[in-house]
Amino acid sequence: MNMMRPVHVMRLPRGPDPHSRGFDPQSPRFIALCRTSIVSSLTSDMDPEELQREQVMRAELRERFLRCLLSMANKRVRFNMYENVKVEATFGASDIDVLNFQVTDLQTPIGIQKEALIRSQDVISLSFDL
Amino acid sequence: MAMRQTPLTCSGHTRPVVDLAFSGITAYGYFLISACKDGKPMLRQGDTGDWIGTFLGHKGAVWGATLNTDATKAATAAADFTAKVWDAVSGDEVLTLAHKHIVKTVSFTQDSSCLLTGGNDKLLRVYDLSSPESAPQEIAGHTSAIKKALWCNSDRQILSASEDKSVRLWDRSSMEEVKTLTFDTSTIAFYNALSLELIKSVEAPAPINSASLHPEKDFFVAGGEDFKLYKFDYSTKEELESYKGHFGPVHCVRFSPDGELYASGSEDGTLRLWQTAVGKTYGLWKCVLPEDLGADNTEQIYTAPPEVKA
Repeated sequence: MNMMRPVHVMRLPRGPDPHSRGFDPQSPRFIALCRTSIVSSLTSDMDPEELQREQVMRAELRERFLRCLLSMANKRVRFNMYENVKVEATFGASDIDVLNFQVTDLQTPIGIQKEALIRSQDVISLSFDL
Repeated sequence: MAMRQTPLTCSGHTRPVVDLAFSGITAYGYFLISACKDGKPMLRQGDTGDWIGTFLGHKGAVWGATLNTDATKAATAAADFTAKVWDAVSGDEVLTLAHKHIVKTVSFTQDSSCLLTGGNDKLLRVYDLSSPESAPQEIAGHTSAIKKALWCNSDRQILSASEDKSVRLWDRSSMEEVKTLTFDTSTIAFYNALSLELIKSVEAPAPINSASLHPEKDFFVAGGEDFKLYKFDYSTKEELESYKGHFGPVHCVRFSPDGELYASGSEDGTLRLWQTAVGKTYGLWKCVLPEDLGADNTEQIYTAPPEVKA
């Protein structure tokens, strides 16, 4: 039997968050290093007024996107996807990272799927009537 | 008084962990990426094992994973016939590189400008990440699946290991084979990376799947089919310690870039972190002197429960 004292541990390593894929945008590393997804004209000699205008435009675009997601709820949406796949479904919701879209009554060439998740990276474009 | 090693278990994966890699030391510490058959490679803080994020996108088992030196990029190799490059800060997928078979290994050059891949189609491929649509350079020669490939000698050469039981050294500019080593028995052996001359070999107590040499070449660690981790003195080849802990074969083991700990990945689906100097204060481990263990402050200190051995 091992009589030696075990090394003390302050806590256990933190495990994954079941609700998110992580990469906390509030972490110091993210704030310091993360380039915005649309390449900005973020050069040091950039006019602060122009920067401000660019930021306003980004906020507007983001708001438009979010409103679009809201207005799609419960409407029939046509998805244009890779491999020449075109399907139609009733839009439910998007997850927080816009990785998946929850839909119902997905019409596929092999039948109607009552409940489905569409992987957003497989979608090229989507359209719906307002 | 000698202390007993307390490994830190990182849970989260649901299938065997088949590969792991550390980044270099960055301004934010160093990082660890793990490849898992559940298809979801994970990024962790290297000195604590704390989960940072999961790279989502692969549609099959992930066989290989790597980070670039400053941990801003990650690359993964998977059974879905793709290698993917990721932004390791945001977790976003940046690039998907289609292959013709299962991809097993990925490696960045030091400046992160090129990615080396290898897998079951027996070809090594070099992708220029600044123009990823252009066809990669292909290097043929191995007669069976490639298990691991790395850049070496300041990215001027490539080292590859295959199921054909050979390790080959290739020149990057000529794309030709410089030297080949063939094996028929399994031991732990150390070779000069430039000449591929044997330096020394060591008998292990069990079949070994992975080994790692300490950055200062004081020790090396190894793990394999008997589930244990072994620590050896590199100069004397003496076995110093062995640790039980994993509940399945150990597939991969790597020293951290500062040599203070080593990480192991196992068939049991966990990663474990082990101290090089047992008892030292580092990361989540805390050196507690006997006189500090008074009744008043024991609740502030967590002691890992002893491992239950089935």
